Amino acid sequence: MLRYAARRVLLTGAQLVALAVATFLLTALLPGDAADTAFNEQAGPEQIARLRHEMGLDRPLAVRFASWAGGLLRGDLGTSYLGHRPVTAIIASSFGATATLALVTATILLPLALGLGLAMGLREGGRTDRVISAVTLALTAIPDFVLALALVAVFSLRLGWLPSAWVGVESGPALYVLPVAVLLARTVSHFSRQIRAGTRTALHAGYTVQARRLGVPRVPLVLRHVLPNAVVPGVQELARTGDQLIGGVLVVEAVFAIPGMATALIGAVQSRDVPTVQGLTLLLAAVALLLNLVADLVCRRLSPRTEVLR
Amino acid sequence: MSRVLTACGLLAVPVLFTLAGPLISGAVSGPDGAPYALGGGHPLGTDGMGRDVLGLALRGGPSTLGMACGAVAAAYAMGGALGLVAATTRRQWLDELLLRPVEVLLPIPSLLVISVVGVGWRGSAVAIALAVAAINMPAVARLIRAAASDAASGPVAEAMRLQGEPAVRILVGHIGRAVLPVALADAGTRLATAVFTVAAANFLGLGLDPAAPDWGVAIAASREALLVQPWAVCAPAVLLVLFTVGANLLSDAVLRRRG
Repeated sequence: MLRYAARRVLLTGAQLVALAVATFLLTALLPGDAADTAFNEQAGPEQIARLRHEMGLDRPLAVRFASWAGGLLRGDLGTSYLGHRPVTAIIASSFGATATLALVTATILLPLALGLGLAMGLREGGRTDRVISAVTLALTAIPDFVLALALVAVFSLRLGWLPSAWVGVESGPALYVLPVAVLLARTVSHFSRQIRAGTRTALHAGYTVQARRLGVPRVPLVLRHVLPNAVVPGVQELARTGDQLIGGVLVVEAVFAIPGMATALIGAVQSRDVPTVQGLTLLLAAVALLLNLVADLVCRRLSPRTEVLR
Repeated sequence: MSRVLTACGLLAVPVLFTLAGPLISGAVSGPDGAPYALGGGHPLGTDGMGRDVLGLALRGGPSTLGMACGAVAAAYAMGGALGLVAATTRRQWLDELLLRPVEVLLPIPSLLVISVVGVGWRGSAVAIALAVAAINMPAVARLIRAAASDAASGPVAEAMRLQGEPAVRILVGHIGRAVLPVALADAGTRLATAVFTVAAANFLGLGLDPAAPDWGVAIAASREALLVQPWAVCAPAVLLVLFTVGANLLSDAVLRRRG
């Protein structure tokens, strides 16, 4: 386990380095750098050249990368082209909303998906299984932004029960209902379907059959033998869930006008504010990589037979 | 069999819209009218810019589905080749060399890649498709490698090799046939996900121009008028959902038939 964990952590380290290099290269090599887009478009060529020099964009690529990476190690992500705020300040001001949203979602997601998956898998083919299966299948097929708009149309515009945006309303738990519902819809569906499949396999596995023969009662049987193995395919899918969650956060923040990191990212992309895009993508992708690391380690601990990493 | 039929029926609507839509949109849709109007020569009304909603839905398919299909095809071209080489080679280091770097990229969230690419290439359909292809490539490579390595190291391949069959014949006739159903089932779900990603990117304004005829862009553009002119959002949304449900069902059916 320790050797595996060490190798897996090393891989994550390599991934983080690759991520930083790729982010920098992709944004630095893009056509049309910040100097001619971030400022007024009527500026003459000599003005742009001066600006480039001020922003340090005329230095060779390797030098720019070294100074950027050096800053990164010191926790300095550079300064935004717009408003000249440090990127870390932008992240700090938008972090709260996104983190709360993610935390609320995660605390509901895990027990809900586990419960639904077990309910489906333990009574396969029963009515509960058929109903939940149909609903989750339908939810996986609806794009989250369509679902978000549909929920807004029904619950905030027609019925007026819940706020449709975060702007200009007092804060309260009601704000979270619709965004969290959208974030949960696809992730819970995927996750619970994986757990259903895992439960089914674990229920028919030799060790469960043997334990049942030995007279282990149903509740301990499910809790001690079925559950740990049933979770494995679900946890392995956590990487994909991370992708869906981050995509979902982007969509949800855009639809509900939540002042979080995703809103900041989209704004930065649209105004070509390269340092902010670099900082925010790095941070969000690093979260996804760490989630993946935790998922693989948990998987390995739960079911050491499964080769998560070759 | 009925599942396959249902899936094909669902897929037929958006696919027909995409293939035939651009040809007939000129005849069906009237000239531009008032913004968010209902009726008046427009069967589904107009959008915020006064464009005919039905015409827009008819012209929006090639962009959304084209980008997604192109992305999945490119992901399979790159990832499939990588996976096949890695599975059939008898050199351990080549296998490692090909798949290790790919694995490093596996868990990076797709919309983040599109955001980074969108900074410089916003509005370019090719750039979005390439980004989505790059996101999907590692998983395809892994899947193909796993599916092919069983067949490549099995007794049949061994017998063919001893028989002196040419390598191409083993690769296409035996390994290819073993990989195909897995690849088809995966391509279906992958296509549905790619449609999601492309549409979400365009919805968020990370992709195409806000005036481009595209289902995702159209949904974003008309969302504030959801109650005034529901068709402007619902028409493209329904087409998207029909496609993704159909693609998912079809790949499910392919998987089931294999047992």
